[in-house]
Amino acid sequence: VTRCRAGGAEVEMAELYVKPGNKERGWNDPPQFSYGLQTQTGGPKRTPLTKRIAAPQDGSPRSETSGPPPMGPPPPSSKALRLPPVGSCPASNVEPMGFPVTESEALIEDVLRPLEQALEDCHGHTRKQVCDDISRRLALLQEQWAGGKLSTPVKKRMALLVQELSSHRWDAADDIHRSLMVDHVTEVSQWMVGVKRLIAEKRSLSSEEETNEEKSEVAAENQTIPGFQEAL
Amino acid sequence: MTTYLEFIQQNEERDGVRFSWNLWPSSRLEATRMVVPLACLLTPLKERPDLPPVQYEPVFCSRPTCKAVLNPLCQVDYQAKLWACNFCFQRNQFPPAYAGISEVNQPAELMPQFSTIEYVVQRGPQSPLIFLYVVDTCLEEDDLQALKESLQMSLSLLPPEALVGLITFGRMVQVHELSCEGISKSYVFRGTKDLTAKQIQDMLGLSKPAMPMQQARPVQPQEHPFVSSRFLQPIHKIDMTLTDLLGELQRDPWPVTQGKRPLRSTGVALSIAVGLLEGTFPNTGARIMLFTGGPPTQGPGMVVGDELKVPIRSWHDIEKDNARFMKKATKHYEMLAQRTAANGHCIDIYACALDQTGLLEMKCCTNLTGGHMVMGDSFNTSLFKQTFQRIFSKDFNGDFRMAFGATLEVKTSRELKVAGAIGPCVSLNVKGPCVSENELGVGGTSQWKICGLDPTSTLGIYFEVINQHNAPIPQGSRGAIQFVTQYQHSSTQKRIRVTTIARNWADVQSQLQLIEAAFDQEAAAVLMARLGVFRAESEEGPDVLRWLDRQLIRLCQKFGQYNKEDPTSFRLSDAFSLYPQFMFHLRRSPFLQVFNNSPDESSYYRHHFARQDLTQSLIMIQPILYSYSFHGPPEPVLLDSSSILADRILLMDTFFQIVIYLGETIAQWQKAGYQDMPEYENFKHLLQAPLDDAQEILQARFPMPRYVHTEHGGSQARFLLSKVNPSQTHNNLYAWGQETGAPILTDDVSLQVFMDHLKKLAVSNAC
Repeated sequence: VTRCRAGGAEVEMAELYVKPGNKERGWNDPPQFSYGLQTQTGGPKRTPLTKRIAAPQDGSPRSETSGPPPMGPPPPSSKALRLPPVGSCPASNVEPMGFPVTESEALIEDVLRPLEQALEDCHGHTRKQVCDDISRRLALLQEQWAGGKLSTPVKKRMALLVQELSSHRWDAADDIHRSLMVDHVTEVSQWMVGVKRLIAEKRSLSSEEETNEEKSEVAAENQTIPGFQEAL
Repeated sequence: MTTYLEFIQQNEERDGVRFSWNLWPSSRLEATRMVVPLACLLTPLKERPDLPPVQYEPVFCSRPTCKAVLNPLCQVDYQAKLWACNFCFQRNQFPPAYAGISEVNQPAELMPQFSTIEYVVQRGPQSPLIFLYVVDTCLEEDDLQALKESLQMSLSLLPPEALVGLITFGRMVQVHELSCEGISKSYVFRGTKDLTAKQIQDMLGLSKPAMPMQQARPVQPQEHPFVSSRFLQPIHKIDMTLTDLLGELQRDPWPVTQGKRPLRSTGVALSIAVGLLEGTFPNTGARIMLFTGGPPTQGPGMVVGDELKVPIRSWHDIEKDNARFMKKATKHYEMLAQRTAANGHCIDIYACALDQTGLLEMKCCTNLTGGHMVMGDSFNTSLFKQTFQRIFSKDFNGDFRMAFGATLEVKTSRELKVAGAIGPCVSLNVKGPCVSENELGVGGTSQWKICGLDPTSTLGIYFEVINQHNAPIPQGSRGAIQFVTQYQHSSTQKRIRVTTIARNWADVQSQLQLIEAAFDQEAAAVLMARLGVFRAESEEGPDVLRWLDRQLIRLCQKFGQYNKEDPTSFRLSDAFSLYPQFMFHLRRSPFLQVFNNSPDESSYYRHHFARQDLTQSLIMIQPILYSYSFHGPPEPVLLDSSSILADRILLMDTFFQIVIYLGETIAQWQKAGYQDMPEYENFKHLLQAPLDDAQEILQARFPMPRYVHTEHGGSQARFLLSKVNPSQTHNNLYAWGQETGAPILTDDVSLQVFMDHLKKLAVSNAC
């Protein structure tokens, strides 16, 4: 049985961008792909560029003369009746650096209050020390946000994360947390682990509540008798 | 022809195998005359989205020396509920659970489309994955910060149940205790003194009887489902503590005076890591991940002294027997690698520095255990960061693309024996009826251990036909090989992948043309290259080249069509047409040439060559070159200086580098800014097309390649110029002045000269 990928929605929400590598520290450093691009599955795939042609058996290259070297300007678009020489499929719509923000900025209270509420819910379920630890990190988040140290994409994605958390979509919330850690680690690494833990604690709390409610229901597990497949 | 190409492709997709020969010569003598051995590239865990594993265990042949797995090639008597092993002909009863089988109700493993099948074993304890970070703190501030962030980030990518541990090192080695209590404690070791496994375990308090999981004692699954030590804790418990711990890591506090290297105790740090896992989790999937920013400079395993005025060894030093520490250091790391492999763990090395870091001495740690080797300039580069992220990438099922503690067993039908394997594995020294006395690669066994592998890890497996000439194999019969890979899946399940393949035997005298047509030149080139690179690790470079040349000449003598002493008459059939040029490029490749490479770079290139699948390996041997122009869609062109034209853009993929090269006119047009004018939009598209294609490659490649964007006359054009066949050089002047390519300033032999010599030798030595 093949499982589906946990929701495609969160991938859509992820940022899709490529930014240049760090040429100062590494020669010919490759560009950096965002989490969203790295985890993107499916989508149009180009034909892999793995073809090669055989050299003539005498080893000498075909004397390929492409006519006199073009000296003037490139052929203007109108003249080129052939297909534009794009790769084997249209380019993926990769946005340039940065995330176009047209909507209004996320508000600090809208993000922080639900997180604090979630932490509140976990008291009693989660050890005090862990709660304190999370609380310390939420304070750090607040401080950095208020101090203007967080970028717009981070704020925006935190708002999304909180929405998912409030709607009990744990996997989606967790995936946003991962994308923030991958794409913006410098900004978020100190406090994000608290949010991560909060998602985990809230999830375990709610699954505990569920089991309490439906104690009687025992999942009939897939039994594992050597299963024979019907011949086709 | 297409039928064989299709057959080869289907087999690769379904079974993860590519054989050099797809019709097998039926006698030992004839097989040796084929020059290229009967061998295959096997990708044991090739990704198969269409193949869900079955939730039961395989049925084994009851003969103790055979134990082959029931497969579609077995003869089945459905009435009597018996099956005959196709390897040893033993008749076996089906187990009781198979009582209901019939011709129309077959278990999956008997259906021909399940020549590859994967079983999930339900028995036995399930243990979590283990990741032990071994972190060098003798880094520049910028590098250390970047590394710390990458490590913190990795905690979000790892499965929450996984156990993690942290060892840091500089002049001293610190083993950090991880607790949820927020008080950090660590054990400090001197970096100069090697310790035995016993001593390490005593000092860390791991040998107390209170610690379960000592030695090979089987653990009851209920007893301690996730036993952990103070040094290895589940991520979901200590992620906050560890994030802080990593955040607070400081550069090694010991002062480094001018003219000195920092004292770096890599050898002892690795030794402690190996000993820690050996004492706590033997035979459980675990990764030791070493992050280092320079060479080991003290204690066991030191590669260079701390005096900066004495540079680290070069190939020149090694040839002159002037590499003081090399042998001793290599021995230290080999011992560690052997122990790690015996424990079923693997070691990754992430080495980021501008100078060498000792990969030459440490390479066995990754090569024998199936760990990753990554070489970069700095931890603060996209090359490192993204390569590291990709370690934790997931497959179509949401499972990590990593597997642990695999054993690969090879079984053959009676006319064949297995001669050896080349890849990220160690021998398990299991003798048996199908083990050849002649070794190719790591031989003398029918089983190998691969401690760390992923869906692309590929081994070369070499065989020997042993059937005697005077004992012909009946017409129409087939030889069979079974590969049984037992491994720990990243979901911690134990799984068994079984692939059973068969090929027809053919009589060389009467069916040579058929055998020729079934030759897989791509597989053959990679398999021969692996043999060559394997030899190059122990032999002198020129000897290996001579050996490869001799094999190529013999192959041309055997399969070329020609009149004796007439080189101009020489022809090769389509099935062989690319093979000579593969060998030509292989001879020039960094896998066999050390010129212009440091010993570390050679080790790095060879490391990747010995584990990638066929497609990637072939890219390494002969880079791919595509040309973009206004004349049509991008097309593959000859890897030749004649392909470098003024009005073209070239995209070259060498596996380790992606190079985009703008021809002279294109570069001028770009400088003139035509791409910004609306009426020249197609020029803008032309410039963009190779970038998009390059991006596609960059997104999938592991490790992340370097990315070169250059143009005619640019200094980085050398990456392209050094790879293309120098068909035009400063020596054949007639090419000058004609715009048919770019002359290369080199004394290297061109493919044309190479082919001329090859033909001359092939037709003259013929007997």
